[in-house]
Amino acid sequence: MSTQEAVLTAPHAQPKAYTGLMDWLTTTDHKKIGLMYLIFAFFNAWVGGILAGLIRWHLWDPAHSPFNGAQYNQIMTMHGTTMIFLAAMPAFAGFGNFLVPLMIGARDMAFPKLNAFAFWIMFPPMLMLHLSFFAHSGAAAGGWWSYPPLSSSQFSAGAGENLWIIAVILLGISSILGAVNFLVTIADMRAPGMTWMKMPMFVWAWEVTAWLLLIAVPVLSGCMVMLLSDRLFGTGFFRPALGGDPLLYQHLFWFFGHPEVYILVLPGFGIISHVLPSFASKKVFGYKGMVYATCCIGLLGFFVWAHHMFTSGISPAAREFFSVASMAIAVPTGVKIYSWLASVWGGTIRFTTAMKFGLGFIALFILGGLTGVMLAVVPFDVTVHDTYFVVAHFHFVLFGGSIMAMMAGLYFWFPKMTGRHLSEKMGNLHFWLFFIGFLWVFTPMHWLGMEGMARRVATYRPEFAFWNKFISLGFLIMLTGAILFLINVVKSCISGERAVGDDPWQINELQQGLEWMTSCPPPAYNFDEIPVVE
Amino acid sequence: MSLASSRNGYAMHTNQTVTAPHVATGSAHGQAHDPAAHAPAPSLWPILLAAALGILVTGLYQIATDISWGKLLTVVGFLGTVVTALGWASTIIVERRQMDPLQTGVDLRKGFLYFLISEGAIFGTFFAHVYYLRAFAPHWPPVGAPHLATTLPAIGTLLLVGSSFTFNWGHHSFLHGKKGAAKNWLLLTAAMGITFLGIQGFEWGTLQNFDKFTLKQGVFGSGYYIMTGFHGLHVMIGLLMIAVVYFRMERGEFNDKYHFSLTAAEYYWHFVDIVWVALFFTIYLF
Ligand SMILES: [Cu+2]
Repeated sequence: MSTQEAVLTAPHAQPKAYTGLMDWLTTTDHKKIGLMYLIFAFFNAWVGGILAGLIRWHLWDPAHSPFNGAQYNQIMTMHGTTMIFLAAMPAFAGFGNFLVPLMIGARDMAFPKLNAFAFWIMFPPMLMLHLSFFAHSGAAAGGWWSYPPLSSSQFSAGAGENLWIIAVILLGISSILGAVNFLVTIADMRAPGMTWMKMPMFVWAWEVTAWLLLIAVPVLSGCMVMLLSDRLFGTGFFRPALGGDPLLYQHLFWFFGHPEVYILVLPGFGIISHVLPSFASKKVFGYKGMVYATCCIGLLGFFVWAHHMFTSGISPAAREFFSVASMAIAVPTGVKIYSWLASVWGGTIRFTTAMKFGLGFIALFILGGLTGVMLAVVPFDVTVHDTYFVVAHFHFVLFGGSIMAMMAGLYFWFPKMTGRHLSEKMGNLHFWLFFIGFLWVFTPMHWLGMEGMARRVATYRPEFAFWNKFISLGFLIMLTGAILFLINVVKSCISGERAVGDDPWQINELQQGLEWMTSCPPPAYNFDEIPVVE
Repeated sequence: MSLASSRNGYAMHTNQTVTAPHVATGSAHGQAHDPAAHAPAPSLWPILLAAALGILVTGLYQIATDISWGKLLTVVGFLGTVVTALGWASTIIVERRQMDPLQTGVDLRKGFLYFLISEGAIFGTFFAHVYYLRAFAPHWPPVGAPHLATTLPAIGTLLLVGSSFTFNWGHHSFLHGKKGAAKNWLLLTAAMGITFLGIQGFEWGTLQNFDKFTLKQGVFGSGYYIMTGFHGLHVMIGLLMIAVVYFRMERGEFNDKYHFSLTAAEYYWHFVDIVWVALFFTIYLF
């Protein structure tokens, strides 16, 4: 017993102090890790964006294209893969890492080293993916969904596909460990008095997201193990000749793939629930309803996966079930959208850049949600399946939803992260370039799809040439916005307007999070005293 | 000792709280005690382990595709992984002595259980695969698949289920201060686990050599080898954990407050056991 006490009262070991680069490589500070996640995501968003540019360059003219079909397939596959696994997921992990402990009044995540590991373990797969372009037969070319038999060794013989699969498994490890960390942090480390129903919406969003990651990502990993083993060891999981079934791959993949959509958008919902009320000088409307709606979306998300498979040969009864279940998700989503509108309604609105991105999110996300309900209708889906209508739909959800929300969050919390504001002037321009550029690029895809332009194909019928040129020009608008954003971030980090006080937006009164109660940027230990919520 | 500071893990200071967040005047830095003590210490282990794992995976992949330097990379990556994992674990053991053992224990147990849910989902994917194919196949097991003998696997099942109990008794003995008995129970558990693996290995050998049944012959073989193989890998990891726990118990590193690795090893062992029972019914009996 005495040794026990001696151990407990021993003086704190002096942490080894590193400086410069070593400080970042060895840090276990959730804020630094969060920032590194964001930088990682930003870098990869540029890679994915450049790949998108190559796609638009290729589709400028249906007859004279810079790449051949095989190269186009690689570019398209890696655009999707990079944006989803290396840009969007790490970006929200970055927001979560930086904000969740601050919002709940903790000094760090529950497992700071595990947190650092979950970040660093993304580097080997990132290198594998980017470098696979230089592999003997190029990068993976089976799309981000990588369906067999297209992804089998028969049709995708090269190393690119193997590297892709291994990278996805490794990235899964990062996601799962991150999810474990978030779940324990949120469950155990809330400040005294912060009950579950007093938690900020962003924390709730991450709670549900972490559960989705914990259950959905391992299914992808298991599925990828089987696919890899089919390719390398000659097993027959998805090979009909050996009794396997490629359709099973689609079931498993989309059992992950649909919750993945919510993994990519729920944290964005969380961000919006902070930004909109703040700049409308109101508290978030219908908090309880928002919480239940978030949980409901997460739960329902596990029962709708086969809406991606209406043309794959599933039974009519299955089509019926998954169609109705998919439409049912519109209900909790509607609850959220009306609550956001009510959070703004009648308020004194400050049109900051963050607010503009927040309102832009609502406009674009509603459109993406509506086309989602259309696609849940089986006859309509069968008509436009594999056309640009679907491309338009999910870009409205993932760009109009996720990325607009990320931008809103970044302009909102940048002072907290760095101690300086992003330039509102450049931000304003950035917003309009993104908003208009986005609509310019993706709106015409709706009617291109309805007229029959096939997605995933390296060329198109000549009569679609006008709109494809139009869309490719719109890419330049978005690119200009992205360059402006890059300049804004770099410039503001160096010489941006300094954040005044702990609460530079003067919104602490309206917020449930505790992040505005410590300095900008917060000290390494976050709070001098752990706040108590009453 | 106030709850707030111990919950947040990094120090044992008495907590003087500021009042409600939305009334408080914001943070006042430079208080009496040293708040820097709250910050988690930096560590090289995470980035080193990530690098080692990256090298290991690259090496394994190169072995699988017959690239010449795969073996070297695999050895380097494997050693790196073991060394960094052990280094990391020992750092945590030291650090926990400065924190609240109850709260860190709760955190670690919870985190481990969440992790096991994920593991369960991976196994669930394989099970989903078998049941899906059975539902649509005209014959199951498919024509040409060998009839799996059930006697030896049934003995293996009894051993593994039994070892869950012996592990539990070991844990109980330890909690009641009977360290000698606890170590014996652990040894017995490990022996049962090793026998189980032996039975599995014998079955693999028989199937491959006499029945010429391999994982390439059809989806039944693929599922059989991947599932028993993946499970066997988990048994091996479980045995490794038991070895570490035994060694640490021998050195007297555990007491009634610090024995998370004992708990974790036991959770893991039960998990592996439950998965096996499901696997036994799915592959051998039905
Ligand atoms: Cu879906």
